[in-house]
Amino acid sequence: MAIKKVIETNKLSRIFKNGEIEVHALTDIDLVIEEGEFVAIMGSSGSGKSTLLHIIGCLDRPTSGEYELDGVLVNGLNKNQLADIRNQKIGFIFQSYNLLSRTTALENVELPLVYDRTGRFSNSKELAKKALEQVGLADRIYHKTNQLSGGQQQRVTIARALVNNPALILADEPTGNLDTKNSIEIADIFVRLNNEGKTIVMITHEKEIAQFAKRMIYLRDGKVLTDELIKDRSTKESALKEFELTS
Amino acid sequence: MLQIIKTFKVAFQAIKKNRTRSLLTMLGIIIGVGAVIMTISAGEGATKQVQDQISGLGTNLVIIAVKQDHRAGMTVRKGKELSKKDYEILKENSVWLSKLSPMAIVGSQAISSEGYKSTVIYGVSEEYFDILSREVVLGEAFSELDVKLAKQVCLIGETIKQELFEGESPIGKTIRLDKVPFTVVGLLEEQGKGGMGSDQDNLVVAPYTTVQNRLYGSSNFTVFMGSAISEDKIGDAKIETTILLREAHKLLPNQEDDFEITTQVEITEITSKITNILTVLLGAIASISLIVGGIGIMNIMLVSVTERTREIGTRLAIGARESDILTQFLIEAVVLSAAGGILGIAFGIIGNQIIYKATDFYIPTAGYAIAIGFGFAAIIGIAFGYFPARKAAKLNPIDALRYE
Repeated sequence: MAIKKVIETNKLSRIFKNGEIEVHALTDIDLVIEEGEFVAIMGSSGSGKSTLLHIIGCLDRPTSGEYELDGVLVNGLNKNQLADIRNQKIGFIFQSYNLLSRTTALENVELPLVYDRTGRFSNSKELAKKALEQVGLADRIYHKTNQLSGGQQQRVTIARALVNNPALILADEPTGNLDTKNSIEIADIFVRLNNEGKTIVMITHEKEIAQFAKRMIYLRDGKVLTDELIKDRSTKESALKEFELTS
Repeated sequence: MLQIIKTFKVAFQAIKKNRTRSLLTMLGIIIGVGAVIMTISAGEGATKQVQDQISGLGTNLVIIAVKQDHRAGMTVRKGKELSKKDYEILKENSVWLSKLSPMAIVGSQAISSEGYKSTVIYGVSEEYFDILSREVVLGEAFSELDVKLAKQVCLIGETIKQELFEGESPIGKTIRLDKVPFTVVGLLEEQGKGGMGSDQDNLVVAPYTTVQNRLYGSSNFTVFMGSAISEDKIGDAKIETTILLREAHKLLPNQEDDFEITTQVEITEITSKITNILTVLLGAIASISLIVGGIGIMNIMLVSVTERTREIGTRLAIGARESDILTQFLIEAVVLSAAGGILGIAFGIIGNQIIYKATDFYIPTAGYAIAIGFGFAAIIGIAFGYFPARKAAKLNPIDALRYE
């Protein structure tokens, strides 16, 4: 049985026009990510990794080329359909968490379900609680976001990304605002989720965090420079050990 | 449908989370709606008061006066004076006037052994009391015979009684009006202050014959006061009187009337026109404060959109449609202005009560004022909430997510 492709792009390009100047942010990206993969996308700033993430995340549309997400050709979709695709198929994790302030963890995690139009989730509160349990925050569900630490806030974000059972979890610099120890915790959660079968695409510029993934794609100047499987993957234990040695 | 309910919840959450800001936003609407209700009600109250005063003037009043012209601020008599003959002609021939009294008005001093007072003496017929609905509370009015015989009798108002007969019954006492002694036969019911603060109780009423003979020095009159047989015959009475007087004054068809007839209906119409204009004007001024309140809502909502740019970006990223964001912000604005409207209604009603308690000026809270105030608030909520809401919905999720 063929493995399901979650992401398939064909000659994906994105050109930004700024007056007369054209910026080729992405050029002819052919990318296939299958179900159950854990991919780290790396690259220096300006390499096009954010643009790629926006397109994969259906927040932006390619200038040319095709993009299929979980069997749906995204190219021709209108704004509302894109919103629905994001709601149903993608779980977003942001560098700066983007949680609602003065709102409980539970309410934050419920948020994607508020915009669900399929009616497939009957009890959003239960689902949100379960998602928070999955990230180890069962005892913090009624805490407001400002009462949580950075690492805890990022775990709420992960719970929020999980709650709608998406085909793809998309993380944009998830550890960018965290210290090393918390970063390792978050990366470990990703590994666990991946082991449970979740497909994860993570943008990062931290090599140590990327090392937790199964596959690493390196972008430069809007093109794929390298795309290889990671041989010696980090684990929570190995990373912590290394952290203790260096500090 | 379900989505709308969820969006309502989201909007209420946002309002609840920003209690202070929400209250401040509402303040403008509260004051605006309160002001609209209070001013419109005050206008209504004033109208009612004036109407009451006019209907208190008399019964189906028809006022026949010498034509006057206003030139350079001075009142100039233009027509012929009204004569005794005019009075008799009207009295005999009029079908629609049930009562008629001539009026000879003289300013004079009223003197008794205890004091004196500048006053106005009205020389009238015995029908005057019915025409102007003036009640006699002590003693009685003079009779037709008294008028015929030009008896030196009079009735006095409350003010004269106070000044000239403090604490005693004035009935049977003598007062001097310009050295002419009059016997007081009655006391008129107190009228209170009139419009412009004039004292309506500072008067002496005596038979016109006596006043003409002893005080006035003329057999003519400036005014006749008449009473039509019924309210719906006031117009007929006016036409009839016009015809009779034109005939009596031998006016040719191409000549203008040399007298003026004003009816109670006309006075009511004119004053209600004026008070209506006043009400509309006051309401319009108050509406401006409502619009200012609306701009306040728009302001805060715009600030709120900017402040919550990242929140909006997050919502869009995790699957909110533009319409979800638009309705959320619109609901926030409408809920704020509607809540402000309700509080404003309470504010207006309480304000009316306070004014009533403080000034004795009764203001009935007009039902339609509440409707106007609240409706206006809701419309303003939608109108001024729409622009910020659209701004929020049109945000690009990528930029919004990164907004610092």
